[in-house]
Amino acid sequence: MARLKQKGKAGAAKAYVTRSAAVKKLQISLADFRRLCILKGIFPREPRHRKKANKGSSAPTSFYYAKDIAYLAHEPVLRKLREHKAFAKKLSRAIGRGEWSTAKSLDEHKPTYRLDHIIKERYPTFIDAVRDIDDALCMIFLFANLPATSRVSAALIDNCTRLAAEWQLYNIHSHSLRKVFLSIKGVYYQAEVMGQNVTWLVPYQFTQNIPADVDVRVMLTFLELYQTLLGFIFFKLYTDAGLVYPPPLDTKKDGTAAGVGAFSLQQTSEQHAPGAKKPSELKVSAKDVRQTIKAISSEALDDDSTDNRAEEDEATAAEDFIPQPSKSNPGEAAVLSTFQSLSAQEGSTIAKLFAPYTFWLSRETPRPIFEFVVRSCGGRIGWPASSGSGSPFDESDESITHVIIDRPLVERPNETQEERQRRLQRKYIQPQWAIDCINAGKILLEEKYAQGKPLPPHLSPFGDYEGAYDPAAVIPDDGVEMAERESDEEEEDAEVGEDDAGPRPPLLAADVTEDPDALRAAELAAEAAGVDYGAFEQEVRKTKKAKGKVGLVPVETEEEMNKMLMSNKKRKLYERMKYGQQKKDAERTKLEQRRKELDEEKRQRKKERIIHSQS
Amino acid sequence: MASVSNLRKRKSSAPGQAPKDEQLLPVSALEMLSEDEHDEEPESDDGNYEEFPEIDAASDTEEEEDDDDDDDDDDDEGEEGEEEADYSSDASGSEKKLSIFPKAKVVISDITGEPKKVYPEIEPDYDSDSSTEDAPNRIGNIPMHWYDDMPHIGYDVDGKKLLRPAVGDELDKFLKTQEDPTTWMSVLDNNTQAEKQLSPEELDLIRRLYQNENPDAGYDPYEPMVEWFTGKGKEEIMPLSAAPEPKRRWIPSKWEKQKVMKIVRAIRQGRIVPSKPKTSSTEPRFYAVWSDPIPSLHPPPLPAPKPRPPTHAESYNPPEEYLPTEEERKEWEATDKEDRERDYLPQKHSALRLVPAYDQFIQQRFSRQLDLYLAPRIQRTRLRIDPNSLIPKLPSPSSLKPFPTYKSLDFSHGASRVCCISASPDGAWVLSASESGVISLWEAIIGREVKKWNASGKVGSISWCQNPESYYFIVGLEDRLEFFIPPNLPSSLHTFTKNLLAPATLPPQPATPSPLKWISSSDPEKPVLVVANLSGLTKQIAWHARGDYFATVSSDGGVWIHQVTKRHSQSPFKKIKGTVQIVLFHPKKPNFFVATQTYVRLYNLSEQKLIKTLMPGIKWISSMSVHPSGDHIIVGGYDRKLCWFDLELSNKPYKILRYHTRAIRSLHFHPTYPLFASSSDDGTIQIFHARIYHDLMTDPLIVPLKILRGHIVKDGLGVLQVEWISRQPWLLSAGADGKIDLWCS
Repeated sequence: MARLKQKGKAGAAKAYVTRSAAVKKLQISLADFRRLCILKGIFPREPRHRKKANKGSSAPTSFYYAKDIAYLAHEPVLRKLREHKAFAKKLSRAIGRGEWSTAKSLDEHKPTYRLDHIIKERYPTFIDAVRDIDDALCMIFLFANLPATSRVSAALIDNCTRLAAEWQLYNIHSHSLRKVFLSIKGVYYQAEVMGQNVTWLVPYQFTQNIPADVDVRVMLTFLELYQTLLGFIFFKLYTDAGLVYPPPLDTKKDGTAAGVGAFSLQQTSEQHAPGAKKPSELKVSAKDVRQTIKAISSEALDDDSTDNRAEEDEATAAEDFIPQPSKSNPGEAAVLSTFQSLSAQEGSTIAKLFAPYTFWLSRETPRPIFEFVVRSCGGRIGWPASSGSGSPFDESDESITHVIIDRPLVERPNETQEERQRRLQRKYIQPQWAIDCINAGKILLEEKYAQGKPLPPHLSPFGDYEGAYDPAAVIPDDGVEMAERESDEEEEDAEVGEDDAGPRPPLLAADVTEDPDALRAAELAAEAAGVDYGAFEQEVRKTKKAKGKVGLVPVETEEEMNKMLMSNKKRKLYERMKYGQQKKDAERTKLEQRRKELDEEKRQRKKERIIHSQS
Repeated sequence: MASVSNLRKRKSSAPGQAPKDEQLLPVSALEMLSEDEHDEEPESDDGNYEEFPEIDAASDTEEEEDDDDDDDDDDDEGEEGEEEADYSSDASGSEKKLSIFPKAKVVISDITGEPKKVYPEIEPDYDSDSSTEDAPNRIGNIPMHWYDDMPHIGYDVDGKKLLRPAVGDELDKFLKTQEDPTTWMSVLDNNTQAEKQLSPEELDLIRRLYQNENPDAGYDPYEPMVEWFTGKGKEEIMPLSAAPEPKRRWIPSKWEKQKVMKIVRAIRQGRIVPSKPKTSSTEPRFYAVWSDPIPSLHPPPLPAPKPRPPTHAESYNPPEEYLPTEEERKEWEATDKEDRERDYLPQKHSALRLVPAYDQFIQQRFSRQLDLYLAPRIQRTRLRIDPNSLIPKLPSPSSLKPFPTYKSLDFSHGASRVCCISASPDGAWVLSASESGVISLWEAIIGREVKKWNASGKVGSISWCQNPESYYFIVGLEDRLEFFIPPNLPSSLHTFTKNLLAPATLPPQPATPSPLKWISSSDPEKPVLVVANLSGLTKQIAWHARGDYFATVSSDGGVWIHQVTKRHSQSPFKKIKGTVQIVLFHPKKPNFFVATQTYVRLYNLSEQKLIKTLMPGIKWISSMSVHPSGDHIIVGGYDRKLCWFDLELSNKPYKILRYHTRAIRSLHFHPTYPLFASSSDDGTIQIFHARIYHDLMTDPLIVPLKILRGHIVKDGLGVLQVEWISRQPWLLSAGADGKIDLWCS
């Protein structure tokens, strides 16, 4: 006889651990566990049977995969966290005793960890990493706009600002911006990088403060990971584009609020001359990477283990004999470049959209948004000194074709001849024009967006779910419908009298409108009786409407009857799907209804105005 | 140091000025100062005491902290040294006069030759301690306000009252303060309730206590150190121990050397970098991590789900139809944050410069992060199917004609419910009975009533004989069954039936006579035959296919099987588990279905044994019908379920349908057409197409054809019975509204 199975030794009970069990097993504090989970990207799972996973208890807990936790137990960062705990104890003791020099030297040798290996684990390929940078970019841009406080250091903010500028510079350089959306939350951008759509949200430029109900520690942990991730991604993007990373920062320009302009992009070829070994450095082989990661993980293990070192060398020597595909780096780069050129062709309409134009930003428009947007689409842009330094030209430049202005129209009585001349040459447009042009993929007519005019609605380029209400769709001209409605009302009044007067024409029995065959038959009969087609149609419509109004007799279609024979499981699924569909439909009809009402109102107003003007 | 030098400056300029300590004394004294200056002694010595607390608040800590800036410190110490010298010289001044403590004399010691303090001897007599002095008032340490209302303030040692000393009023007090310059120096003695003048010594003591100084004016905290054992000429010459000095005192340590050398070697080899640049470790270095094309051992983790892209409603300038109405806004504000469908309210701004900051930005970023690391993720395969494809594809009802679709006529029984109906085997006649006991016979095609009987009691059931050769019907009443022959029969048929029910020669009595009596009568107004002595109302009459046997079920659950030709009744079951609801004969085999409240049992009558127990899973079975083939039955229940059983397959239902919204009342299979109907308390009748294939591998086909509505629900009861008219696809239905409808195709 087979051995009896014991409870809790296999299946869900073994595959899942609760959070408290995980913390206990890893012997770290909950805060450290959270930090580790954030860095490693480990999240709770939902077991199919909660009771089976938790030894029969149904208490509310979160579960993790036991394998995930076992995998965490070997994490180099975990060891560093433990070391940091010991270090914190030593430091506090030294400070408590007033042993300043000890404390100082302890602080100098504070254990720090690197996240390189985590990046490599979480994103085995570059595309994986690019696909997942949406959240990272949102956070970086948010922190770039935050003020430095005691909780958020100035160095961190600086780094975020730098990363944000680097990302924007890359997009400007590669012309990869595809969509922009001005929402009430901030500005959404979408760029196409390495064939992946990257969407990020940038808040409007206002001072934000971290509210009290937000845990800054969690945000900072995420930020730590994101900074590393973005650093590696930007390195790869820049080097692939033949640029130097990090781009050198001109501190003098940065001090005068030049923003993105404070960084200068340098081609790697420029760097070839001073340092001859640079290109070889760029060509990092697989071995190097592996070694670096290994070195980082084994850093803490041994300071004086020369033996290990020798072994490692042997191992690498052995590896050298294996032909490595990574040695064919140049070929790979070539493939990439062709791919890039392909993608560039695809998006070239947007990339060169503003190329023939030169823009001037008015003082009240947000420079960071429009500088980025216009330059990404190939345009030239200048701004007044009050918006920061670094403008390539000034307001009197003759090449300016458009002025982005967000002010109401004012009379200018004392304008010089020259100024007027200049004003007439340029087009004054509101900021939404530039964004709508990008989203439309073509230059729109400027008249609608001219200064001081009420703007057309700004629609999301990301669209909505399939079958949602589309505000851009032209609603069929309902002038006809209107007339019809009015005439219908009249008819109805007449109908009441008719009903009292006598029986209906016999051709239209109750079922006629449902059954196409019957309808056909009735039509023939009507023709035979000499009723003209228009009258017949009207009759049909009327009965249909009457049916809808009465609604007392629900009409079962075949499908509805067939629903009886559905199994319980299928019926529930069906009902759920139908529920969702109905909800969407209800929303769409509501919006359509409201649109119709608004149009109606507008027409009424127009009519009144016309009457007014006539009288 | 700055403060100290300030003080010093002040000290040098101050000697003639008013003393600083005056400020700490009672306020009333302030205005006297100008007059009092000369008289008062205590202040003559100030100036020095002020320096003392200032000396070194910083210097202590500084000494501990810094090892490197020694030169600064030296300066400090130098100044401090001077200061001390100042102080000591000043302190030796006139200050000592004022002490209330016994004054010490400095004399040169005879033994050491050093100056020493000598205090006056204390005479240990009776007066030497003030605590033993007699206080005049002997009441002890009690709150004096206890005596507030008394003329006296206590008692002396002899027990005599001590009278309260005269106290002037406020004006007197004021005048006294104006006239007597020493008022400010007096305090109220609690014991005697009298003012007491303070001596200059006591005043000085108070001042010192106020200023946190040592109360003893003669105490010098900075006395010069006396070197007893050190210094020139006082060195210890003899060692304390005679042990010879150990070798380790003068030989360099081997182990220390080894340790140092280890470090030196490490430095030489570059394992320890002495002054490593500290910044390089914290600054992130970036390199091409992804140049390694070999994927890692683990599969890449699933990317986190992306947030939904923004919709038109989120625009700063959305189309107007997206803007919420006032009610929507209120509703949005009233709902909890977690329950909101959208986390924002659409707003419209006429220009970009008017768009304000979004106040929930950081919270929403944070909640996204919480989602990323705290929310369990489940991978769901999204069903990309049309919901309508879930509905089973069945043949169209129009291809399955004929079936009843419309009401062709109705027959009314007045207001009372129609409890049972029965159609004659040839389909020409219909019998119906109402609850008031009226039995009507009417023609099926035109609905004309031919005859009416008034039953003596409540009618439980009614049924035509299924034998085509004879023509009669049975009415089940309270305690008997009555047999009637309908009028206007052809004479041959009438005589045959008459002979069957009331034969001239009675068949021989069986061996075991039944308790029921079969009584014939020849009166045309009375029933032809009566089976009497039944117990309870007969709920149901079920005919055997051949028309000789029929079974009845009474309301108390008793089951009888009657044979007409032999005029014999027998009870097939001695005891039955549960109350019997319905019984049916198998159309082809000698089998008998018995439905109790929850089970359906199938018995073989000839072998007298149980064949099968069917478990429909219905709480209370209401109706049952057997397919003409005998292999399938349907069972309906008051809990709205209809179960289809394939008897060859299993004792569990093949299909369970639940489509009526109320209890199922009646079910009936059509004897010839592939149809069955069900009626329910919701007032509807459902017609189904039910085709059974001879091929055992093909499942029976059930297609809903039509829902017939027409009966009105009355007192929660809808359609009580449905019955097919044989040979025609027509259906009879009896409703609680007193109507019988005929539905035709």
